[in-house]
Amino acid sequence: MSEHADIDAAKAQFVGQVYDEQTLTFDAQKLAVYATACGESAARYTDPTHEDFQAPPTFPTSLHPGKRLPDGYPKFNGLGMDAGKAVSPIEPIRPGIPITARTHVHDIYTKTGRSGRMVFTVIRMELTDPDNTLLATADTSIVIREKPAS
Amino acid sequence: MTIEKLSDIEFGEELPVFDPDTGIPNITRFCEAAGWMGARFTDHEAAKKEGLPGALVPGIMSQGFLAAMIHRWAPNADIRNIDTVFRAPLLADQPAHINGVVTDIDEDTGEVEIDLTVTNDAGETRVFGTARAIIQA
Repeated sequence: MSEHADIDAAKAQFVGQVYDEQTLTFDAQKLAVYATACGESAARYTDPTHEDFQAPPTFPTSLHPGKRLPDGYPKFNGLGMDAGKAVSPIEPIRPGIPITARTHVHDIYTKTGRSGRMVFTVIRMELTDPDNTLLATADTSIVIREKPAS
Repeated sequence: MTIEKLSDIEFGEELPVFDPDTGIPNITRFCEAAGWMGARFTDHEAAKKEGLPGALVPGIMSQGFLAAMIHRWAPNADIRNIDTVFRAPLLADQPAHINGVVTDIDEDTGEVEIDLTVTNDAGETRVFGTARAIIQA
């Protein structure tokens, strides 16, 4: 019996399964403050009166799913950390428009180094507008430096 | 000089260095707008009580700095992807410097790839990433 959690079994059970769905609406002033605080200078992100005003491109990574992980997801034995975030803006996110955010486990993989095995879980949130047009995806990578099960 | 079109860009070109505002008041404004309020981002003493070296710049704010840097260089750049790795904490109230370099140009699609690095005053890399953006021809 392996001393580590079974990654293949976890992938088969959880990858691709939508486990959280929310409807969100964004406030223009807050989007502008978000952009300005980051040092954004383009008016389409900083000025709510601009004809093409929209959320700044990295805004989707600030959104949290209602649940961090699916129910029943394996509790890998180790300390979890946020390893990184990726965002792919596709179409503008406008304030005041109801946006649906669906979240699923996009990938589970391991890397093994001198200090042992690390398990990466990539959580993907997909944002769509009321016409179900995909506006953006936002990935969060959670890494766990795994300790062998005792 | 700002970039207006793809032909203005050269392979290996370095973007102008961007020193973002990492001060607590600016981080607090950001956190309020993002709904990410937490003492670890806005209060050095509270962060130290959590075992951190001081208040942190949120990772999502660091990622926002990278996008802002690209738009300061190329205001009309249409960012298609930013992939960011948080290597080590970036501390609030400490200077940060962002460097970027153009690592690929696709003349057919107008897509430019940029490697980006956030360092502190000691030259230590805290955050790095790669961005892809479309620049009009």
